[in-house]
Amino acid sequence: MNKRILIVDDSFYMRTMLKNMLTDAGYEVVGEAANGAQALEMATATSPDLITLDVILPDNTGLDVLKSLRQIQPSAKVVMCSAVGQEVIVTEAIENGALAYIVKPFSEEKVLEIVGSALQGDASEQSA
Amino acid sequence: MAEIELAAAPKAERAKPAELVQLIVFRLGDEDYGIRIEQVKEVTVTPEVARMPKTPPFIKGIANLRGDIIAILDLEERFRLRPAGRPLPERSYTVAVEAADYTLGLMVREVPRPFTLPLSQIEPAPEFVQDAGTRDKYLEGIAKLPEGGIIIVLDMRKLLTPSEVLRLPGKGASS
Amino acid sequence: MKTRDQEYRELFMAEALEYYDSMSRHLSELERNPNAGPSLNELFRLMHNLKANARAMGFNDLGEVAHHLETLFGLIRDQERTFSGPLTRVVFTGVDALGNMIRAVGANQPLPDATALLDNLDRLVRGEEPILDAEEAAESEEESNKKMELSDLVYIQVKKLDNLLNLVGELVIDRDRIMTLAQELDNPALLATAQHLFRISDDLQYSVMDARLVGVGVLLNKFPRVVRDVASAEGKEVELTLSGQDVQIDRNILQIITDALLHLVRNAVSHGLETTEQRLAAGKPVVGKLNLSALTERDDVLIQVRDDGRGINTEAVRRKAVERGLVSANTAATLDEKAVWAFLFEPGFSMAQKVTDISGRGVGLDVVKLALDSLGGQLRVESELGVGTTFTLVLPTSIAVKGALLVEVEERPYAVPLLHTDTVLSLHPGQISVVGGVLVTYFQEQSVPLVPLRQLLYDEGDGPLPFATRDDITGPQQVLVVNYNNRRLGLVVDRFIRQQNIVIKPLSKPLDTIDLFGGVTLLGSGQVCLVLDVPALTRLFLNKRP
Repeated sequence: MNKRILIVDDSFYMRTMLKNMLTDAGYEVVGEAANGAQALEMATATSPDLITLDVILPDNTGLDVLKSLRQIQPSAKVVMCSAVGQEVIVTEAIENGALAYIVKPFSEEKVLEIVGSALQGDASEQSA
Repeated sequence: MAEIELAAAPKAERAKPAELVQLIVFRLGDEDYGIRIEQVKEVTVTPEVARMPKTPPFIKGIANLRGDIIAILDLEERFRLRPAGRPLPERSYTVAVEAADYTLGLMVREVPRPFTLPLSQIEPAPEFVQDAGTRDKYLEGIAKLPEGGIIIVLDMRKLLTPSEVLRLPGKGASS
Repeated sequence: MKTRDQEYRELFMAEALEYYDSMSRHLSELERNPNAGPSLNELFRLMHNLKANARAMGFNDLGEVAHHLETLFGLIRDQERTFSGPLTRVVFTGVDALGNMIRAVGANQPLPDATALLDNLDRLVRGEEPILDAEEAAESEEESNKKMELSDLVYIQVKKLDNLLNLVGELVIDRDRIMTLAQELDNPALLATAQHLFRISDDLQYSVMDARLVGVGVLLNKFPRVVRDVASAEGKEVELTLSGQDVQIDRNILQIITDALLHLVRNAVSHGLETTEQRLAAGKPVVGKLNLSALTERDDVLIQVRDDGRGINTEAVRRKAVERGLVSANTAATLDEKAVWAFLFEPGFSMAQKVTDISGRGVGLDVVKLALDSLGGQLRVESELGVGTTFTLVLPTSIAVKGALLVEVEERPYAVPLLHTDTVLSLHPGQISVVGGVLVTYFQEQSVPLVPLRQLLYDEGDGPLPFATRDDITGPQQVLVVNYNNRRLGLVVDRFIRQQNIVIKPLSKPLDTIDLFGGVTLLGSGQVCLVLDVPALTRLFLNKRP
């Protein structure tokens, strides 16, 4: 079984890039959510193995979404995605159960490395 | 089906408000059957029915009902109520009934009519209905009319599960 | 052909323009109400996204301006700065500058210099006064006279296109109905209008189908990485070539065959191509060749996976098919190459000696067959031992409309999708023989079993079909030869009605469990017509042959 990934990012461009990188690498992208509400809905519907979560979303902070996700899908691994400048939130996210974070703009190698190790369960704080 | 006849209930009982049930009543064989009106989508002259191979004989086929393709059932055949040698009439009627997520057509020989009666008149299905082995499973109850006669009230929700509708002979061969 | 970089660039532009419009809107709101929290949050988020996207595209100056503005809006949101005074001017200048930069990216021009702006933004962040000059003020007034621009790209959910296509399907059915009625009524005005409706709905149908088309490249371009990974896991050297990326196909069809194609490509690398040692021993170049190509053939799209590997070992497949109980040893011995290869696509049939972690997983090539069946597609196999194998997926260009042949059995019409029909024959009894209780004819030097469609559809029970005898054949027989998985079957019908494009509606519950029918279509006459599923019919025949 390919690992199933849900992408949460409010930028269509970012989602497309992430999705291409992940599907090229053989992961199955089970959904793309553009906001917190969609993220929770899709996470419930698809039970993904891993969720990439943007820290800033239109309807919610990524942090709130992270907390809800940890409750409804405790088994899903969460990797935060953020452009530089929001390190404070990211640190808090890690404290709230996110496994790693990817800093935008990201290279394909780094994304795959972080996602790969997060899925293997041995990821600690990493950055690209 | 705008006009609903009121059942001729005894005047004495009219005094206290009774919960009323509206039925669509039709004839199968020589008996009257009813379905609660909320389970009925529409009543129409049976459209052209295309025979559907690999289905049991009581499925007459499929028909185009306002763009929806629905299965048409013959309950006389299903409950084995058709007296021998009595063919289906040229012009028949179809009661479209709604299951949870699909519609089915029940083919009947005479124009179905609406009928209202107090809920208390419907007695839960007795155990002694002996004939037609399959029918009593789908009964909600039997309504005894004050002027005599009975209406057998069917519960469509029990009848319309796909496994009930389709007991496909030869399914193993084609799958 | 659209490369991925071009695709990213278009996405970036469309989104950047959208962000820019949104920023302008929220700035106006902020001007009216300097404490509007939602607008501040939105501006912060939009700047943040624009920054990230611009940096990912390598437009660092654009990213830098967005980054500074993001920081500034963060401060305003946290009430460390207020949206007033000179700050307002600089912010407006900044957003205008973003607009100019985005347009410059769109026009492939160098980005305008933003040093002075960045300097001012830095000052504001540090809490110093910005340096404003008259010229700058004049410039920003010019901005309001500039033409507003909207992106000429629209992104639309596939679901909405699906809905549109379904509606068009319904329209086409009704159109055919109206056309038939007009002909029956023979009213010239009605007929002329109906013909006009016919043309318009035809155009509409093709426009909607066209809107759903994407280049096969969007799928093919994903394969270099897959091939690299599988090849390196297998320790093989593989050179992948792609062609026909710009061949157009319905997006959903591409989606449905994604897994199938992935499977064929992995299979080609893992099993089709030999190991380096084997290639050397066979006198072949060390680097294995794999070609993925798309082309159009009539109304169909062909996607081919071609390798120059070992080819299919027909005898090994034949043996394995007997071992697996898919066919008796006697029958197996009589089957030709193509019939034997067809076993490769039976459920559970896998030629892999070892289960590799990449293409093994116990799943055979039957997923390919399933995907194709669901689309009404076909699979062709060509292979030569020691030279290579080519798998060809034959796909419809569009899902909704299919060419079909209408046939009649017992006064009922049935539709057979053209993708599965080989030919129609009118045979006189002398051309038909009986072999083992089955009617057989010879066509293109191949024996083709014949079966009356009536028997397949209407005979009750699970038992085998009755033995056919010569007495069953009187007069000329109308035969439709269908083809599934390289198996030909002749269906004897009462008559051929016509060839026609049909819109297939799925059967609704509870009848959707009968797999003999792929759906229904409504003919112009309003008549309901069942669409036959050739794969299921073929399987039924194989199960019931006497």
